Amino acid sequence: MNYIKHGRIFLIISTLFSFFIMTSCGQAEETAVLPDGKLDKCTLRFSWWGGDDRHEATLKAIELWNKKYPDIKIEPEYGGWDGWTEKLNTQVSGDTAPDIMQINYDWLINLSKDGLGFYDLNLLSDYIDLSGYDSETLSFGMRGDKLNALTVSMSGRGLFFNKDTYAEIGAEIPDTWNDLISLGEKFSQYEKYPLDLDTQTGASAWYLSVVYVQQLTGKQFITMTGDLGFTADDIKTALDFYKSLEDNHIVRSVRKRAEDDGSSALYQSPKFIDGTVSGVLEWGSAVGKYQAVLADDTLCAGKYLSSDNGNSSGWMIKPSLMYAISDNTKYPDEAGAFINFLLNDEECAEILGTSRGIPANGKAYEALDKSGKLCGISYDSDEYLRAVDPVTLSPYFELSQLKEYYNSAIEKVSYGTATSEEASEEMYEKVKKYLERIK
Amino acid sequence: MKKIYHNPVGESKYTGFLFVLPFLAGFLIFGIYPFIVSFLLSLTDYSMNGKPEFTGLENFKRLVTDSDFHKAVGVTLKYIILLVPLKLIVSLGTALLLSMNIRGMGFFRTIYYIPSILGSNISVAIMWSFLFTSDGLVNQILDKLGIMPVSWYGESTPAIFMIVLLRVWEFGSTMIIFLSALNDIPRELYDSARVDGAGKIRTFFSITLPMLRNVIFVNLVMQTITAFQEFNAPFMITGGNPMKNTYTVSMLIYDEAFRYYDIGYANAVSWVLFTLTALFILMLFRFTKKFRAGDV
Repeated sequence: MNYIKHGRIFLIISTLFSFFIMTSCGQAEETAVLPDGKLDKCTLRFSWWGGDDRHEATLKAIELWNKKYPDIKIEPEYGGWDGWTEKLNTQVSGDTAPDIMQINYDWLINLSKDGLGFYDLNLLSDYIDLSGYDSETLSFGMRGDKLNALTVSMSGRGLFFNKDTYAEIGAEIPDTWNDLISLGEKFSQYEKYPLDLDTQTGASAWYLSVVYVQQLTGKQFITMTGDLGFTADDIKTALDFYKSLEDNHIVRSVRKRAEDDGSSALYQSPKFIDGTVSGVLEWGSAVGKYQAVLADDTLCAGKYLSSDNGNSSGWMIKPSLMYAISDNTKYPDEAGAFINFLLNDEECAEILGTSRGIPANGKAYEALDKSGKLCGISYDSDEYLRAVDPVTLSPYFELSQLKEYYNSAIEKVSYGTATSEEASEEMYEKVKKYLERIK
Repeated sequence: MKKIYHNPVGESKYTGFLFVLPFLAGFLIFGIYPFIVSFLLSLTDYSMNGKPEFTGLENFKRLVTDSDFHKAVGVTLKYIILLVPLKLIVSLGTALLLSMNIRGMGFFRTIYYIPSILGSNISVAIMWSFLFTSDGLVNQILDKLGIMPVSWYGESTPAIFMIVLLRVWEFGSTMIIFLSALNDIPRELYDSARVDGAGKIRTFFSITLPMLRNVIFVNLVMQTITAFQEFNAPFMITGGNPMKNTYTVSMLIYDEAFRYYDIGYANAVSWVLFTLTALFILMLFRFTKKFRAGDV
């Protein structure tokens, strides 16, 4: 009898417990705090990732803000790129996200499927001046009818070269794919490499291969709506192209790269710092960290490679960084004012310079232009990019799971554990299945 | 008659309960609650944002065909097989050396324990990763000795061995347990063995090892459980490379949860890891029964 009674109690408790657990998971359906039309005294958290150049510039900008708005204190939270996505994702899911965040374009897909993952910036029109943006640039931050994020800079992944090494061995900075391939012979004599591509979080090896095939076929690898535009044959062409770069001594093999650098990023690699590896494919907004480890004026922007007949299509551009406000912020007015400061304030624009790429906001761009700060390799790369009429990168392109599929295929081809045909078919199936699942 | 507690702070049938309450609360909140939540989430499709959607055993079915999971299990088992015996041998060997009665032994014991204090430190993992690059210190030493440099990061066995070496280097905790057990072995046994003419090797196999069998088993179980959960070292040093040949189950769980936002699947993998660990330990208990009883 007692046994039955205890059993019932246990059943009731465990049912209630399970119900409690299941309902406690997931986002709380809270209503965001509405703007109250005034700026109160408060402390706001602002997080970003980047290299030292970006950290230093942003901290100086915060100093300026603190002088202008002493009642609204900004607490900076910053670090390197590695692990940042995971950290921020956990914060957003656990409702502990900073008030203002620097985010990536593709994060909107996972973090704000319905536009409710971040604060709707349309509600903060009293504070944020959007007149410096065109409608297309604004549309990148839209989820449904909600404006979730504002683009800081539009950026392309361009080629940057160590011009001292190139000069030392008498090589020309390449303009075409064939120019690039022909560099291998000369560089191999000096046991150096004209370029580096990775299969780490950046997945730049796959990126360049995609550009090559996009230029060749006119197709887009993944469309803006998340459909796979390449066939398995196109993927095979891309993998073959990558392998030809390794075989022609343009880039180190995956194995050689691992042996030299371990799992370190290229800008931390002695091989890059001493010029053994003399080129990198990087976002214009993030190239500062590579520049910082070399002597001044060593790195230069290269042109976006074209075919011999002058076809330079296939290169891509994206909102490289965006600012968003947490939907849990208690101070939307103040957070809006701070974002406006970061994007529109002339003095702030001058301090930030091109540490986040060339500003997408017209006012910040003008301020930099006026003060003569629109210069440097990030700017040069941006100018070259606009000359090749780039296509907008699909927000699905850089999803972590997809990068894992790209890297895995590249590694298999590089190590020779699969033919390019086998690897392309496997990758095609996996990418297609994943896109269907998450769309 | 009902028993009541007698203690200096008062008498009540709940007093004892109050004393253990902090532990119980911590255990329920940080132990049992996540344990149950994890199981429930393993039965859902949940991406951190939004509500979990009940999918029954779908995540567990997916495990059957997931080649990454199969590879991660293989890597984890290979790692355990390489690490645990090696670490026990090195720990026991060092404990034997440090149990000798010579001057300044306290200093050596401290020195040998230092790697274990530093071991879980991320900076040590970073330092380790630099030691094994193609131009790293280890290959430079091998070169000086006339040995061919090793492709530590480029090939699967050296890569996993690099992580094993780091963990073996942190032998301090295991060694301390052996050392304490060695000191508990009655000296009379060694004296009588010496009188009977037993040499050092015979003494080790006939006295030391049998007397340590339970401690060996404790260390074996603890090291196996820790090895099943290995994450930090491969994550920091190799990132699971080359070709996922150092990609452990814990790394898979991390990636699924925090990089691919597939919380349901990550929890399913966690439960399988838990079950595998439990089964492995049960097997160890079963196969070492005679050894522990002193029959072999």
